[in-house]
Amino acid sequence: MNAHLIMTLIKKDLTLFTRNRFYFIITIVGLVMYILMYFVMPKTMDETLKLGIYAPGMPSFENSLVSDRGIEAKSFTTLEELREAVMQNEYPAAIALPEDMLTQLATGQKPVVTVYFAASAPEEMKGAITALVNQLAYLATGQAILLEMQSEVLGPDLIGAQIPWRDRFIPMMAILIMGTEILSLASLISTEVEQNTVRALLVTPLKLRHLFTAKAILGIGLAFIQVLLFMIVVGGLSQEPLTMILGLFIGSVLITGLGFLVASLARDMMGVTTWGMIVTIIFFIPALGGMIPGMLSGWAKVLPSYHLTDAISRLSNYGASFHDISGHFLIMLGWSAAFAVIGIMTLGRRYR
Amino acid sequence: MTQDAIVVENLSYHYGKILAVDHISFRVARQEILGFLGPNGAGKSTTVKVLTGQLRLQEGHATLLGMDIAQDIERVQARMGVCFEQPNLYEQMTALENLELFARLFDMKSFDGYALLKKVGLEGREKDRVANYSKGMKQRLMVARSLVNQAEILFLDEPTTGLDPVSADSIRNLILKERERGATVFLTTHDMWEADKLCDRVAFLNQGKIASLDTPHTLKQQYGQRSLVVEISRNGQLEERTVTLDKPETSETMRELFSREKVVTVHSQEATLEDIFLKVTGRRLTL
Repeated sequence: MNAHLIMTLIKKDLTLFTRNRFYFIITIVGLVMYILMYFVMPKTMDETLKLGIYAPGMPSFENSLVSDRGIEAKSFTTLEELREAVMQNEYPAAIALPEDMLTQLATGQKPVVTVYFAASAPEEMKGAITALVNQLAYLATGQAILLEMQSEVLGPDLIGAQIPWRDRFIPMMAILIMGTEILSLASLISTEVEQNTVRALLVTPLKLRHLFTAKAILGIGLAFIQVLLFMIVVGGLSQEPLTMILGLFIGSVLITGLGFLVASLARDMMGVTTWGMIVTIIFFIPALGGMIPGMLSGWAKVLPSYHLTDAISRLSNYGASFHDISGHFLIMLGWSAAFAVIGIMTLGRRYR
Repeated sequence: MTQDAIVVENLSYHYGKILAVDHISFRVARQEILGFLGPNGAGKSTTVKVLTGQLRLQEGHATLLGMDIAQDIERVQARMGVCFEQPNLYEQMTALENLELFARLFDMKSFDGYALLKKVGLEGREKDRVANYSKGMKQRLMVARSLVNQAEILFLDEPTTGLDPVSADSIRNLILKERERGATVFLTTHDMWEADKLCDRVAFLNQGKIASLDTPHTLKQQYGQRSLVVEISRNGQLEERTVTLDKPETSETMRELFSREKVVTVHSQEATLEDIFLKVTGRRLTL
């Protein structure tokens, strides 16, 4: 492999990239915008406790909770509605009192109160809810009573690991930054075909293997440098930095594979835009869904970008180690190779 | 060195079931300018693409500078220059950047882009982006790009298309200078006048086959008819008569014209390559 030829091509493509106002501007503006977005978002959580209550046959007492305790309570008429509200993260916690609570108390039994927690509820909430339930029982009966409490977490259990919203956005923003380069790379490749410059290149000592290697290096470089810069600025490398850097690099390889795939699907710039948008939107789905644990539907997990999203998310927010996410890396490399091979083979046939 | 620069033997090329080039054979000597003439679809571009390595050799044999293109195309390409018919330049780069890019690809150590651009009449516009160039300027830059590596063989596909007469003439002079430098030129063109003036030999290509290959002079002698165009005045109106030369009755016809008519002008007329192409192939070069 002739490094001199490859470097010459990379330099040429960088020149063309910086002179393509659209891609250059969205790259720079995008990077700056995502960094600003991160810092504009709150770094602390809202202290108001939203609480769902299912208390059949009991007087309505949410008004007595609201005023001075920082609690926003809502009564639900069915247990299913209550559970669904917690599942959907509308309420971080909810309590369900038994239907015959008063009867049980009257007969000296110990009523069982179920407390539901959303996946993202903080650890401190458990203690608060216990005190609250006792208070509710007092409000309902007018006397201090003993209750038996059982708790259930709806969705993945993240209690005690509450993460500020801006940190939850890190994987999504990282993937948006990298994903933009799918279009940039596909455009650089497609333009060579559309303007027929590839023919001029291929009657020089330069061969297709040099051309594809140069494009791949450029694609990986553009995506990797930007996302790395972003992660450094927002502190995304604070945990397992080497594993994170490796993950971002493999993510950039995945982006490059997709860039080749889009370029091979498109016949011209219009095709690049169309196919690029489709692929990019699909690519972003896991990133958008992955911001909230439990929100992502099962089918989205087959998308290659799910592995990137989950890897970044778990590394940056949930203290995962290389061992925990190495499977994601392998799957991403597999997808990258598949996309790149399909793209390069198709483009190779077209270039000839 | 007496070895021919280009040797082609029984070259054929198919696009699927369509036979684009049909067992053609020819040789081009070093420092020769060979004109490859033919209408659209005759197989000119396919031949060029095969010889320059843009298409894989399917059938036959071809050597350039003594190297087999089936085996050594990469080495051959390092020593050839190609000017494409349609501009395929990096439009967002300057003319100088375009040339310097290709100079680096050819690993030219001491390359003077300014001097080359001056040669093709683009001095003063070296740092303009190609997107801002006119069609003629782009064409001149295409020619300049093919000269970047001081190639031993130049493949020039319609190099003067779209140029004004002055620019076209400067490019023709440049081609002649390249030949003087030592380059062999393979020129495809529709311009019969250009082929006549520039080419040492011309090949007529028709339906994938070489219908004829010789010097323009020999072809004219072999197929052409010399004639005289005589302008006479009758009742105040000018009329034209064409008298074919080299026939037994030519002198008698001319004598009669001079004795009976009022001859205003007499011009000699030579057969053009266009006429000869029509005679040889039964088709016109340009539609």
